[in-house]
Amino acid sequence: MTAAAALPEEDIAPPRAGLFRRLVSDPGAAMALAIVAAVFLAAALAPWLAPFDPYDNNLRAQMRPPDATNWLGTDGQGRDILSRILFGLRVTLGMGIASVVTGGAAGIFLGFVAAYYRRLDQPIMRLMDMLLSFPAILVGLALAAIFGPGLEPVIIALAVATVPLMARIVRGAALVVLGHDFIEACRAVGMTDARLIWRHLAPNCLSPIFVFATLRLGQVILIGSGLSFLGLGAQPPNPELGAMAAAGRNFLFFAPHIAVIPSLAIFVVVLAFNVLGDAMRDALDPRLRV
Amino acid sequence: MLRHLIQRLLLAIPVMAGVLLFGFLLMQVVPTDPATVRAGPMATAEVIAEIRAELGLDAPLSTQFLLYLGRLARGDLGASIINNIPVTQELAATIPPTIELMLAALVWSIPLGLLLGTVAAYWRGSLLDRGIMAISVAGVSVPVFFLGLLLIWIVGFQWQLLPFTGRAGPLWTVDGLAAITLPAITLGGVFVGPVARMTRTAVLDVLGQDHVRTARAKGLAERLVVLRHALRNALIPVVTLIGLQIGFLLGGAVITETIFSWPGVGRLAVGAILSSDFPMAQGTIIVLSLGFILINLIVDVLYGLLDPRVRAG
Repeated sequence: MTAAAALPEEDIAPPRAGLFRRLVSDPGAAMALAIVAAVFLAAALAPWLAPFDPYDNNLRAQMRPPDATNWLGTDGQGRDILSRILFGLRVTLGMGIASVVTGGAAGIFLGFVAAYYRRLDQPIMRLMDMLLSFPAILVGLALAAIFGPGLEPVIIALAVATVPLMARIVRGAALVVLGHDFIEACRAVGMTDARLIWRHLAPNCLSPIFVFATLRLGQVILIGSGLSFLGLGAQPPNPELGAMAAAGRNFLFFAPHIAVIPSLAIFVVVLAFNVLGDAMRDALDPRLRV
Repeated sequence: MLRHLIQRLLLAIPVMAGVLLFGFLLMQVVPTDPATVRAGPMATAEVIAEIRAELGLDAPLSTQFLLYLGRLARGDLGASIINNIPVTQELAATIPPTIELMLAALVWSIPLGLLLGTVAAYWRGSLLDRGIMAISVAGVSVPVFFLGLLLIWIVGFQWQLLPFTGRAGPLWTVDGLAAITLPAITLGGVFVGPVARMTRTAVLDVLGQDHVRTARAKGLAERLVVLRHALRNALIPVVTLIGLQIGFLLGGAVITETIFSWPGVGRLAVGAILSSDFPMAQGTIIVLSLGFILINLIVDVLYGLLDPRVRAG
């Protein structure tokens, strides 16, 4: 990221047009993209895809291993695990997206403000440093202590922990863009700050924002499902994947699939986001590839 | 070096103040009255009023905050609502096992991560590199509880190889060592991946620098080039990044302790929150936060020791 001013103009504009093609040409990234698409589709279509009601317990069919009727088996209360996973994806993805979008938006705003208004840079970034001193898990524990366990405190905790990370990345990217001549040109023609930031600065910072948001989504799902696993997040009978894994813990020795399948689902989703995020970074900014 | 350290300490002060303020506010918003709790279920209104005055609960909030800080300074964090055991006593019993678990996880995962990352960087682009990176990204993506549950199920239950519940005494005894093995593998297991990834990036960066070429040109053995020149310099960014990952480790510790019934602060915190034991929850969260700040300070000092540029600056 040094000496960016010396770079030719086409290096600065994110090569978005070819992004999809570049991603698909890498088999790992293509698979990750397919998994992410499938996961979103499955979550969106859960009510139509699910073979059973995710809340419907059948006490005569408890802890069944996977078979022809219940493709992924049944849980400790005889509920169909496949149906619960499909609905669980909605809860887990919703939790992740809600926190990355809200925390990310705040971070983007603060990052731009810090980069553009140099007087505000120090105060904002020192505040971000302080926020960084509280990892998501601690904020999550604290909020659960105050408000009681639930999905909302977890989302707030994950969003709060996302703000400083996004702000740092956006500030860094914005400072590089602000060093270019065209920014000076915008100022020279008397463009307002808001227009300059919105029309010229922001579009040139999209790549790192998207890359970070993708990677962060994976991290946030990992932490959030961990909090739910501890009983501090989504509450039963809400089919959150981490909470489902926790419920399966009691049956680990005679029906391991109840805990293993939801855990595996989290693993696959997070892995897909991580691989996709890495591939996006490589495709959007080959200079960062190592 | 000293200036760097003082700067970091100064930055830590407002953060610590924030933690303490949080702890105070937590006790303000909770729906239980400490005086009623302390007085017990049979107490009369006068007794409760007396305890109220004694605890300073009638005073304005600012005074109460000062009183609270005074109690903290004396090591008085109140007592559990559930069993009336002093919070500090529980903390004193649970902090050592947590430190023990974290160290046991780091003692193998950091060296392994450094080794894997260096190997991957040295044979960049090879099948070995790809394999190591695939394992690393999987390691970054796996939920701690998944790894823990798999180890309990397979190693602990099916193979009956190692115990998986609780701590069994000091580490130098066979039982104690056996008991910490699975928790340490679980917690360390999710740390190898990030360390390997960071090390690979850092070593690649250093391997391309002039001083490495000079070292090779003067005929230094390849092993020494990698160890002394590449890895040593790569350690600087890696230490910083490990510091950034400490929060990740802390979260992993809370979950690992819960799965393995390891008697640490994380498990105590979760139990306290779930049972609405507010004084205990407050104490554990304060300790975990202060611990996190302290670890970050230690990382900063290490960073200064490793990087002469910081030491001089």
